[in-house]
Amino acid sequence: MMKKNALWISVVSASLVAPMLYADQTSPQLGIRDKTPNLVALTNATVTTEPGRKLNQATILIKDGVIESVQSGGSVPAGYQTHDLSGYHVYAGFIDPYTQYGIEQATSVEGFRFGQPPQYSHERKGGNASNAAIHAERRWVDDFKPDASAAKSLTEQGFTTVQSARHDGIFRGAALVASLQQALPGDAILRAEGRHFLSFSKGSSTQSYPSSLMGSMALMRQTLSDANWYASAQGKTDVRFHGGPIEFNASLAALGRLPEQGVLFETTDERSLLRAHQLLAEFSLDDAVLVGSGFEYARLDQVKATNRPLILPLNFPAAPDVQLVDTQLDVSLADLRHWERAPANPAAVAQEGIPFALTSHGLEKKSEFWPNLRKAIRAGLTEQQALAALTTVPAGMVGFADRLGKVAAGYQADLVVSRGDLFADGEIVATWLRGQAQQHSPVNPVGFSGRYAIHIADQAAELVLTGRAPKLKGEVSLAEKTVKLEHLHTLGSQLQFSLPLKELTGQAVVLQFQGQLREQELRGTWSDAAGDTHSMQSQRQPVESKASKPSDTAASTMISRLTFPNRAFGVTALPQQQNLHIKNATVWSATDAGVLEQTDVIVRDGRIRQLGQNLSTPRGYQLVDATGMHLTPGIIDEHSHIATEQGVNEGSHANTAEVRLADVVNPDDINIYRGLAGGVTTVQLLHGSANPIGGQAQILSLRWGQDATGMKFREAPPSIKFALGENVKQSNWGAQFTSRYPQTRIGVDTFIRDQFQAAKEYQAQWEAYQGLSRRERNQVAPPRKDYQLETLVEILNEQRHIHTHSYVASEILMLMALADEMGFRINTFTHILEGYKVAPEMKAHGASVSTFADWWGFKMEVNDAIPTNACLMHEQGLNVSVNSDDPGLLRRLNQEAAKSVMYCNMDEHEALKMVTINPAIQLKIDDKVGSIEVGKQADFVLWDGHPLSVYSQVQQTWIEGAKYFDRESDLQQRQQLQQERQQLIQKVLTAGESARQGSTTGYKDDDPIWHCDDRADWLHIRFGHQYGHSHAHSHAHGHQQEHH
Amino acid sequence: MMKANDVSKALQCLMLIVALGYLTVSQPVFAANPVPGPAQSQPILLHNATVHTAVGEAEVQDVLLVDGKIAAVGRQLAIPADTERFDLTGKHLYPGLIALINQLGLIEVGAVRATRDDREITDTNPDLQVQVAFNADSVVIPTIRSNGFSHSLIYPAGSMIAGRSALMQLDGWNWQDSLVQSDVGLHVNWPSMSIRTGWRSQHSPDKQREQQQQQLEQLQHYFTQAHAYYLAEQAGKNRGKDSRWHSMLPFFAAELPLFVHADDPRQIRQAMQLAQQYQARLVIVGGRDSWRIADELAAADVAVIYTAPFGLPTRADEGYDQAFMAPGQLREAGVRVALSLDGFWDTRNLVFATGHVTRYGLSKQDALLALTLDAAKIAGVADQLGSIEVGKSASLVVSDGDIFDYLGHQIEYMWIDGRLVDLDNHHKQLNRRYQQRYRQ
Repeated sequence: MMKKNALWISVVSASLVAPMLYADQTSPQLGIRDKTPNLVALTNATVTTEPGRKLNQATILIKDGVIESVQSGGSVPAGYQTHDLSGYHVYAGFIDPYTQYGIEQATSVEGFRFGQPPQYSHERKGGNASNAAIHAERRWVDDFKPDASAAKSLTEQGFTTVQSARHDGIFRGAALVASLQQALPGDAILRAEGRHFLSFSKGSSTQSYPSSLMGSMALMRQTLSDANWYASAQGKTDVRFHGGPIEFNASLAALGRLPEQGVLFETTDERSLLRAHQLLAEFSLDDAVLVGSGFEYARLDQVKATNRPLILPLNFPAAPDVQLVDTQLDVSLADLRHWERAPANPAAVAQEGIPFALTSHGLEKKSEFWPNLRKAIRAGLTEQQALAALTTVPAGMVGFADRLGKVAAGYQADLVVSRGDLFADGEIVATWLRGQAQQHSPVNPVGFSGRYAIHIADQAAELVLTGRAPKLKGEVSLAEKTVKLEHLHTLGSQLQFSLPLKELTGQAVVLQFQGQLREQELRGTWSDAAGDTHSMQSQRQPVESKASKPSDTAASTMISRLTFPNRAFGVTALPQQQNLHIKNATVWSATDAGVLEQTDVIVRDGRIRQLGQNLSTPRGYQLVDATGMHLTPGIIDEHSHIATEQGVNEGSHANTAEVRLADVVNPDDINIYRGLAGGVTTVQLLHGSANPIGGQAQILSLRWGQDATGMKFREAPPSIKFALGENVKQSNWGAQFTSRYPQTRIGVDTFIRDQFQAAKEYQAQWEAYQGLSRRERNQVAPPRKDYQLETLVEILNEQRHIHTHSYVASEILMLMALADEMGFRINTFTHILEGYKVAPEMKAHGASVSTFADWWGFKMEVNDAIPTNACLMHEQGLNVSVNSDDPGLLRRLNQEAAKSVMYCNMDEHEALKMVTINPAIQLKIDDKVGSIEVGKQADFVLWDGHPLSVYSQVQQTWIEGAKYFDRESDLQQRQQLQQERQQLIQKVLTAGESARQGSTTGYKDDDPIWHCDDRADWLHIRFGHQYGHSHAHSHAHGHQQEHH
Repeated sequence: MMKANDVSKALQCLMLIVALGYLTVSQPVFAANPVPGPAQSQPILLHNATVHTAVGEAEVQDVLLVDGKIAAVGRQLAIPADTERFDLTGKHLYPGLIALINQLGLIEVGAVRATRDDREITDTNPDLQVQVAFNADSVVIPTIRSNGFSHSLIYPAGSMIAGRSALMQLDGWNWQDSLVQSDVGLHVNWPSMSIRTGWRSQHSPDKQREQQQQQLEQLQHYFTQAHAYYLAEQAGKNRGKDSRWHSMLPFFAAELPLFVHADDPRQIRQAMQLAQQYQARLVIVGGRDSWRIADELAAADVAVIYTAPFGLPTRADEGYDQAFMAPGQLREAGVRVALSLDGFWDTRNLVFATGHVTRYGLSKQDALLALTLDAAKIAGVADQLGSIEVGKSASLVVSDGDIFDYLGHQIEYMWIDGRLVDLDNHHKQLNRRYQQRYRQ
């Protein structure tokens, strides 16, 4: 059925091909010059000049693409072409600050497959950066070409201006700002250099580095630092500090302009947003806009505290698939909650007063923009907030607050014309781009809608037309029967259609009508089967309009709870410190006091204040009767990989000392909560073991509910992961991984030596530089800051402590000899399964040790691992801890400690120390935690039995006097969660088809369970095209993994 | 160039050789396993132990072993003249523990391919008999024994129809010596039926469903083919011997139980349909979600070898201890349960995992059954093993205290078929060796 109105088509096509008002100055003029005037008056419109300001019956005068005046009433000067917009609403044209409009997309990396050989460098051309994910030198204006079909899909939604760049890589290059007008590129471009786009994704780069989120952040940090240095070094080089002439680097040169250019950073969820903010803040990049994800509501206070404007997408997710009882097994409460809450995200952000713009980015079809925006409005976003997010806010973001975003004199004549109120149920009929109309459907179309008395086969019948062109519909009723018109077509006031008679009269013929509506009278001719024509005329009678269909149910109250983190077992409020009197417990002190029977513990302000027997309860203190219970210090794990996001290894390079676990803490990992349920209060997040010098570690206090910052253990000294043996020499990585140095333990020795040599020389260079007089320093640029070597310098200066993954005796001795030679010390050997063979040597070095209780058999280098390792090392006077390296094992570290009692008769109290005070000493936090003694942090666990017995169960876990786990409340909560889940499933089911509309990629995904040797390119997996990537990585549930 | 006693250098060198591809045959690094015990030559009286028979309450009594069998259980037993006496006063006597579902003797070093015989290629391997690759000299085995396990059900991994499992006793000279029961079960890995969404999923839900359906049909097709062979065989109409389908004849004759590796209720229900179709006895291996359909399993008399007693929850919304609770929930509903850690070296921790789940709903008596009589029943060897009853194999283990708790577990003796097992192992040897270093 031909639905389009030909007149409308001609209007549109005219604006596409007609010579442009904004013709450039330099193209040769061929043929006749176009001098069509642009003098337009839009009259009788309801004009929202800016958010919150409305003029009725207004006249807008446009001259040469610019608004001359806007006023209520107002007269039209002579010479202006007038458009009567009675009943129409006019808004300023919308600005989308985050698009790829007019830029070819990056080639997909779907060809990239894991198991391909690693790629350590990329093609160097001109002044490009050494990493293929850095495109900072690109000015996307150079590639910009107006794209009529992309523009059409945007202007139909009311957009008139975009900011655009290729969405590819980490540093993506400078965007441009352009009108969506179809013109010469040079005419459409409003600003050649807009903001610089950034993300954590390496996009189309196939270079191995970075392969993790922390690697991506480290690369960003080093690059931003390099850019500052590069700018400072121009003309101030000195071979003593720079080793040679400064390279030409177009990328760094371009990044030097970042502060004035401004930044736009794409994020994937609220955690990603907060990370982006912190990184930008490190470099004082204040002019930055963050592209949000729809998850901002989940940590709204923190998002607000960034003080940065946001760009919010409207790609609300389709409901999780709960159609069958079976499919509900694959659906989490977190996803159900997000489905319900996502449309309310813009309103939540607005209520906090956070400035934000909206973007069409992320929508599978741009036509979903308005339906989704209306969802957001029903969920509480006001018209004023929505309009600001489409006009004034993004105008400011793209640097045109004085030219775009308002309907005001002097502003560009970019307008949206809507039939009715756009924020209620209006329809965009036209978009004006710099004084030129893009008509999407006719303004004031001929209204055919009505009832017409007609005759069919000499019987009285009725023709009913409803709706308006191009969506006009019609039917004919005869007797009791009704049939729909076919081939309904209008052109101005002309009307044509076909009427099949079969259903009406039984005749298998089709009548065809051709006619015109003039002043309420439809006149025309019927053509019958024989081709004969019969004239007809009929007066239009009004058709009573049906009550407009109820828009989707108004914003109903939320069923879902909002918790921190927003998933099952999240908390609605953070646990509060309590002053406690714990009565009559068997206290395992982990001090020389040993195990204290029938002992009371007084906790005040998060600290242990008193230990004793039969103490009286201070006023206002909470009494905890611990009769029959055992109280131990909170369990501490020296070696954990929980709460780590998008990669545990930056496994590409052999030295990745620049990466930081601190950057990728995931406070939402459910394994934090599960750890608490196993009595764990503190863990050290270690980098994996894919390289001799790994990344910087991060100690966490498992304060479930807090954000990443709140989760970090306060004032813990810095540490770092090193690794030796099979993993670092890539023994079990497959045949493709044989090109990285080192490939042997021999090479590991020389590699680490060379790294420390470089660090020493680096330090000497800086000292020499700092030794220069001020005058000299003014003439010479400082040495380039190298985050990797700085980390090693910290080690040399004993400011950062090494925890080294190690197994066999030879490598243990090697590393200690190397450390002695180069002047550093190993703080802790971790895993250390052959530690029992060289215990005195480690003792002499001053190292401590952290071992698996009994793991072995999973690879060659653990063949001599024995379950009496801990005892033998303990007997030799080493500080021994037992670690988990696994979130399942984390929850029973008490049992792991008990194995030393079982296998080799270790004293029970000494065994418990292996998971409490001993690891605290290794982490250098033993002044705060690890034992039950006066003055220490009140981190403790209440067990219902002997803490080394397989039969004991954690009842409560406390951190700093606040209760983070309580088995009783956990059990109660389960029913509540089940109920909430069931109600949300019902809500999806009752929402029917509409629940299935939306983005299919809108949910978070938990990270896998990380282990030391996970080395896939997680950055590619995370940011790869949905369903387009391939990787062979599966994890069995709960089962110990085989390589560590 | 290699000092015989320089262990770490030996390891290093060996690894270099492996890396260079010169060494292609699996070799134990140390051949220092204890000598298997000689056949029982005289009666043995186990005196005054707390006897956990697995069929009744534990009580202090005596057990008499004659010719590799339990000859009498009780007090004041009539003792033959030449009886060797073990005074077990204050100690606990259990049936030798049975670890179902692991790969002992099939994997020596996890990461070294040359030492692995645990997984064959192709989808249709009903003809594989796993016991032929069992390395009775594996240095891992004595470390499992010394934690109380006398028997192990080993199985071949792989995709779809993976092969047949075998029950081994853990103190033998070679696989033939160690084999107790071949063809314990026909192992099938059920295709995954869960749908992944989010950024880590490789395919759209529809695509995943399509692939799952294809795999399911493929699996069913294999059984249809095998059944066609069975029918033709009955009628003498087969044109030759199909190694694969021929080995499934006992399955269709209801003589070979079906062991399906599956976790999800969707998989388990499909497997139950298949078992019903061919009238097979079904055992679910894995069974993470089996608690969700415990009543259905009980009604259909389907046993579960549950492999996640130490597991993390399967789903984000499950309670932190859901995996611990499952065995108790299954027993509560009347399902026969055995436990496993489905690995190899870590099998020695199975006894503690079993103790662990008793805090989450499994009774202590049921915990014992899960490693003894119920395990024997599932493996079809309950007539010989699994309880301390007259006539059964003299396979027994003595612990100083409660065998399931770290605070009691001290294995002091083990007999397998009346043979006294040497409880020494590689780990104890190394321990002694380095104690020497520190005494020098």
